[in-house]
Amino acid sequence: MLKSVQEWVLLFIIIGFIIVIGNWIGYNVMPLDALPGIIVLIAISLAGLIIHRLIPYKKVPSIAYIGILAFVLTIPGVPGSQQLVSWTSEVNLLAIATPILAYAGISIGRSWTDFAKLGWKTVVIGMCVLLGTYLGSAVVAEIILRIQGII
Amino acid sequence: MDQVLNMWKDWRLHILVFAIVIVTEFIGIHELKIGPGVILLLPMLYAVIIGIGLYFTPLVKEKQSINAEPLVFISVTLLVAKFGVQAGPALPQLIEAGWALVLQELGNLGTIFLALPVAIYLGLKRESIGMTHSIGREPNLALITDKYGLSSPEGRGVMAIYIFGTVFGSIFMGLASGLLATITPLHPYSFAMATGIGSGSMTAASLGPLVAAFPDKAEMITAFSGASNLLTSVTGLYASIFIGLPLTEKLYKVMTKRKKENPTNSTKVV
Repeated sequence: MLKSVQEWVLLFIIIGFIIVIGNWIGYNVMPLDALPGIIVLIAISLAGLIIHRLIPYKKVPSIAYIGILAFVLTIPGVPGSQQLVSWTSEVNLLAIATPILAYAGISIGRSWTDFAKLGWKTVVIGMCVLLGTYLGSAVVAEIILRIQGII
Repeated sequence: MDQVLNMWKDWRLHILVFAIVIVTEFIGIHELKIGPGVILLLPMLYAVIIGIGLYFTPLVKEKQSINAEPLVFISVTLLVAKFGVQAGPALPQLIEAGWALVLQELGNLGTIFLALPVAIYLGLKRESIGMTHSIGREPNLALITDKYGLSSPEGRGVMAIYIFGTVFGSIFMGLASGLLATITPLHPYSFAMATGIGSGSMTAASLGPLVAAFPDKAEMITAFSGASNLLTSVTGLYASIFIGLPLTEKLYKVMTKRKKENPTNSTKVV
């Protein structure tokens, strides 16, 4: 347990550093301004991972704990929520996404030979699978949001 | 996550990712106009392509590629935390839009209605059930393996889509999401709710262009996306078990039956 926590902390420091620099280059936020925000995000993620490890019931994924924790801490009225929101707003979402997809790309390379073996039919069906879930959800959301008069 | 330790020592990997981030963020965001629509080219899109490309250079060894996978998970946790802190302040709006958020989860079944007919039309047999019952990420791979076995036709099907999604999913969603949001009359909030797909990197890839295309709505888009992502991560597998897979089985039976009858019908007409 302690070993994993130590490992997580070190990895978060590395990833956090990369994000802060990307955030600076791409979105003009000075690293020092983004530092409190990235520390908050790391602390929440770490807490979620630890909670997941401690609770024996494993059907709930760790990202659910992280998402709920971050959500609850920033609900208006919760002590300190405004501070957390203003700090984390300095860390651009796109700056977090870029390193994720850079790691993903390097990891994906290994599946390339398998990918190359897939037939064109799989590629066509695969695109329909992705479009189906995306458009399906968007259309349902659109209908309900319009009925509710939100958009 | 348990066994893999000392990944932080893989400096080759981290420095490569750092270099990719620096280069891609310097290139910045570019727009590609296609008729009335816009495809947004984001740093994350270049990053995934450069990452795949680097795998085939001596810079990346097998070890880096193996270590990169848990690192995707670790870095996705930061994205999820970011989702959460954007969603908290939007609690009143989320409650207001609660029905839309919950019911759009059923929209994930759109996969079946769009992809299953295509798969059957292309002549696939029971593979099509594995391929189209869901978007075929890890939980679905486990579900199909559990129910049919990985070497069954259904298992081969889900495996093919899993590989397709792994390699092509984030690139495809990154290109499609911005284009769809600009050429269809659907509201960006609806697409934001649709980004909860059940894959961290695909969510990031489809959300990115929305945030970049509608900067004035970025906060609500992220909040809706985060809420939908959370819902999908908790309910997604159960939706597949209790609705998606049985529905696919049933539709498959109905559609293959009709396909068998069709040739005789059409000869009669002609």
